[in-house]
Amino acid sequence: MKKKMLSALLCVAMVASLLVGCGSSAAAPAAEAPAAEAKEEAAPAEEAAPAEEAAPAAEASDEPVEIYMFISSPEYADAINTLIEEYKAVAPNVTINYETTQNDYPTLLKAKLNSGEVPDIFSSTSGMEIDTYLDYSYDLAGEPIATAMTDSVAAAMASTKQGGGVYGLAIKGNWFGCVYNKAVFDAAGVAYPTTFSELESACEAISATGVKPFTTGFGEWWVWKHLGQHFVSAAAETAGISTGELVEKMKNGEAKISDYPEMYNDFFNFVDLAVKYGDDKPLECTLSTEEAAVATGEAAMMIGQGAWVEGDCLAIDPDVQIGFAGYPVNDNAALTKVVSGSDQALRVNKDSEHLQAVLDFVNWWYTSDYAETWFNDVAGVVLPIKSDAVSTFEVIKQGSEHAAAEGTADLAISYDTDSFHQVFGETMQSYVAGTLSKDEACAEIEKQWQAIDGAAE
Amino acid sequence: MLSSKRKMKEMAENLAFTLPAFLLAALMIYIPFIMSGYYSLTKWNGIAKEPKFIGLENFKTILIESKDFINSLLFTGKYTLVFVVFSNVIALALAVALTRKIKLANFFRGVFFIPYIMSMTIVGFIWKFIFSSGFEQIYKATQWGWLNLSWLGDPKLAFYSVVFVGIWQQLGFYIVLYIAGLQAVPSDVLEAATVDGANGWQKFFRVTLPLLGPSITTCIFMSLTNALKVFDIILALTKGGPGNSTYSVTLQIYNEAFTSNNYGLGSAESIVYFLFVLVITQVVLKIFSSREVDL
Repeated sequence: MKKKMLSALLCVAMVASLLVGCGSSAAAPAAEAPAAEAKEEAAPAEEAAPAEEAAPAAEASDEPVEIYMFISSPEYADAINTLIEEYKAVAPNVTINYETTQNDYPTLLKAKLNSGEVPDIFSSTSGMEIDTYLDYSYDLAGEPIATAMTDSVAAAMASTKQGGGVYGLAIKGNWFGCVYNKAVFDAAGVAYPTTFSELESACEAISATGVKPFTTGFGEWWVWKHLGQHFVSAAAETAGISTGELVEKMKNGEAKISDYPEMYNDFFNFVDLAVKYGDDKPLECTLSTEEAAVATGEAAMMIGQGAWVEGDCLAIDPDVQIGFAGYPVNDNAALTKVVSGSDQALRVNKDSEHLQAVLDFVNWWYTSDYAETWFNDVAGVVLPIKSDAVSTFEVIKQGSEHAAAEGTADLAISYDTDSFHQVFGETMQSYVAGTLSKDEACAEIEKQWQAIDGAAE
Repeated sequence: MLSSKRKMKEMAENLAFTLPAFLLAALMIYIPFIMSGYYSLTKWNGIAKEPKFIGLENFKTILIESKDFINSLLFTGKYTLVFVVFSNVIALALAVALTRKIKLANFFRGVFFIPYIMSMTIVGFIWKFIFSSGFEQIYKATQWGWLNLSWLGDPKLAFYSVVFVGIWQQLGFYIVLYIAGLQAVPSDVLEAATVDGANGWQKFFRVTLPLLGPSITTCIFMSLTNALKVFDIILALTKGGPGNSTYSVTLQIYNEAFTSNNYGLGSAESIVYFLFVLVITQVVLKIFSSREVDL
């Protein structure tokens, strides 16, 4: 019996200890010491640089340096490996250990931060999370990279706490909106709608041809934030305030969702319409299902996506005609806008052992002659740097056209953390599943907005 | 004098042999456990360098203010109940069948055991594929209505999908334990029962089952702890969704600590859950071991 008691105790101890393994702040002071050395090393190099560029660079290149880069966005793994190869020719002494993961990146990063193993380059989302990781992040404002960056990307890297700064760089700018199959619209004889009533009749016309008007992706929590942000910035525009102010009011509990018809009526109307004309099992629909449905012409429009799906769709059908536009919010066509900006940020660890080497790398990434080639041809992304080049990708091309014609909506998702977005997505899933009514869902969203993001500030 | 010296030596020996294991266990289990006890009294996002001490505030949030933890506790309770009952009943039935002298018995034992060797995450992804794409294709061929239900997308059905996959994966392990137990039932007792005129059912319920006591206790206990710890299969199948309808406590703790950045709250939840599991397992163990019979 005693033995059993003991084994039982051990069993439960194991359950409880599953989740407690990652807490250790003891390594933090240790990480600071080498950082101070690195700064001392870096200082003379900076001073010497303007005077005579070649000599100190040659001196520095003798010493082998390792940079640890641990970032999310595995979809750019090939491109980044090419970049690293290319950088070897520039700085042969620098080895970049590149590691990437999609699943649970934030968890893995936190485990590393708390064990003192802070990567030299790591990722977070832009906007509000810039402040979350501020303790570890280097301000790039004085670096050449900051001037090369487009204004919309730089704005997403600023810290609210510090009132400015450039606390990160982006692998890409981005476009968010409705990606659709032009051929399906042509077959139904309708144009892409700019108002909600046009959207309703378009849906009828498309489903009459036997094609699903929508594929929703509602099984993914992040699809909801991408869709929702269009309605949040539309609400702010109608109310005559900035999106930041509106989100701030929601976080402080000063406003309700029902104060803004674009969020309370139009958003839910859109969701209802998408469910009505969408997938048979909306909550099992994910990114890959969406891509397959639109690329093969089984569905007309996909929700909550943007520039990143085009490559996959072309891989499924190289001849697919991709269209890209904003979501019709209501019957005010002026609110139908695409969203542009950068939602991801790469951060430079300010206590890095080889800070100067890391800065050299990121500066080279953005400012070298190779930079534009890399962003355009290798990574195939929306340029995060200032440039006049025209993209070959439809989403980027049409996005830029929409931006020039109608302007863009604010990147509303950057004002909140993904912690809130995940709960928002789950709440909306409950709404679609019918376990929450519209008012219950709104109440829950308002509550969580304050509890998660309001409290985090 | 001599005996006390010997005792001292024995003590030292015992200590020397157990110390390494104890140190490792302390390093990996007890110390982190105590640390999480401290974190449970703080407000900490897991990133900032200094946690902020807030006393018992987190426990108040969990037990009174927020419904999330209670809801996940209810889900886990429901899951555990269904899982323990079905996995044991089905495993026992299959074990009885597989100890009969049927053809291919060994082959079937292997077949039932294979899912248990596979990683839970892989099993989860395989079944996710079956539930979505697999069912869809079979539905197209057969038009059986139940295949067209949204097994992972409907909050009510998602519960059964998760339990089903959990049982399917773990079944082999309990079958093995029950087979071992069944083979240990002495045949002379069964023969005596036959001589006394007992039929097949009577032999099973009056003789075999009581003698299986230790096996049953072990299996119930193992399935209980496994069900209370359920995590990876849910993460792979539904990620707690749709909505938050399949959040188990472990997933809730994980999400609270790592996704919502409330490390302190997550630690507090894990402490509460630790006490909960401690009480439940002890009570169940007590009930079942008091009912065991010896020959």
